[in-house]
Amino acid sequence: MAHYKIMGQDPYWMNFFGLILLTVIEVAAVGVDLGKTMTLFILTVIAIPKFLMIAAIFMHLYGDEDSAILTITALFPAFFIIIMILFVGLTHPEAASGLPDWCRPGNYGL
Amino acid sequence: MSVGIAMFLFTLAGAYQWGEFTEPGYVPLIGASLFVVTIGLLVWWRQDISFDGSYEPKSTGAPFQNIDIRKVAMWVFLMSEMMVFTSLFSTYIRYRLGIESCQEVFESGNWVEGSSVTCFEPASHLIASSWFHLAPGAINTFALIVSSFTVVQALRYAKMVDIDDTVRKRKVTRYLGATWVLAIIFLTLKMVEWFVGFPLPDFMHEYNHGDSSIKSLYTEGYLINADSYQHHAYDTHYIETHEGYELSEDSALYAMMQAGTHPGGHMMANIQVSATTFYVTTGTHGAHVFGGIIGLTYMTFKASRGGYTPDNAVSIEYFGLYWHFVDLVWVLVFPFFYLY
Repeated sequence: MAHYKIMGQDPYWMNFFGLILLTVIEVAAVGVDLGKTMTLFILTVIAIPKFLMIAAIFMHLYGDEDSAILTITALFPAFFIIIMILFVGLTHPEAASGLPDWCRPGNYGL
Repeated sequence: MSVGIAMFLFTLAGAYQWGEFTEPGYVPLIGASLFVVTIGLLVWWRQDISFDGSYEPKSTGAPFQNIDIRKVAMWVFLMSEMMVFTSLFSTYIRYRLGIESCQEVFESGNWVEGSSVTCFEPASHLIASSWFHLAPGAINTFALIVSSFTVVQALRYAKMVDIDDTVRKRKVTRYLGATWVLAIIFLTLKMVEWFVGFPLPDFMHEYNHGDSSIKSLYTEGYLINADSYQHHAYDTHYIETHEGYELSEDSALYAMMQAGTHPGGHMMANIQVSATTFYVTTGTHGAHVFGGIIGLTYMTFKASRGGYTPDNAVSIEYFGLYWHFVDLVWVLVFPFFYLY
């Protein structure tokens, strides 16, 4: 359990209100037509702090006596995640167009 | 239990393919696998129901000395789960970037009516097209955030040493019960979004392009086997006759239609890849929510019998770690699959 305060208040309540606020901004950003790139930027910028707030405060990766080693444990797959996202998801030279026939739409023997 | 779940997945995949039951012979095996899972759960719960925290094994090896073994195990499990979702996300990113979007194909004019083109159609094109379409996903996002908070509150009251046992029992049961209700709401709205849809009152029709209801993704034809998907935004006749829609004057299709080299019409698309990435990712997340519901059902029952005390409250904390992880994944799924 958390033994600290955020701005003098209970951390769980503060985290809860923060998450709600960020989600409202997220949904509103989609409602307002800002263009695809700006929308993606805003969604990404909001998703990162939401992710960290849940992990740090609700999952106790901040403030507990065993937080440090568990944070390192939690970060362990980050190496593989970077490989997957960067080298498979983003930078493959031919991306989906270079896939073999059996892995492309319309080749399921239907 | 793991064997049962593996059996269930394999046999279900064997029986149910491309939207139809193709091999009824698998049905008894599906039943057998569910039986194995049920037995596993009952044995687990039978052992846990009497657990009072008197023996919570600690890890002795570096680097986890003196940390509860169950806590370490839960984190290792969550990391493996993270790899599962990362592979789904990287698949989505790769396909989304690698396959031309249906909007781009439509505006390029490289299509003819009656012949299907392969392109990527994000589910967000349907879901984020109006506030009403977005409502189930948005409500679900808030439901998960609130449920994360209620789990933490259940843990807080279970660990309190300066309150009466009756008060603790009531508070923990209510907070775990509230989490259960929110999880049920999540899956219900997911079903509404995928399969059911919902009607709108008369005064709201004008805010929904004149339509009287919000169609489900199933009704819209957004399916994993959709090789001739049609959306009204890719119909030149619909665009010309409906407010709020217009073909960009900068597009090649507009120029071709002005020059009389393209007859226009309704583009047909093969969206199997985009629909599959959407359903597999959100479905895997939904399966995790369902798993949480099973766990919450048991924990709420145990709490209602006064089963949680400050000595064994860590059980709620370990379940909470799983539940927060489910929320964490949704934090990424919602913007990138539902909004963008």
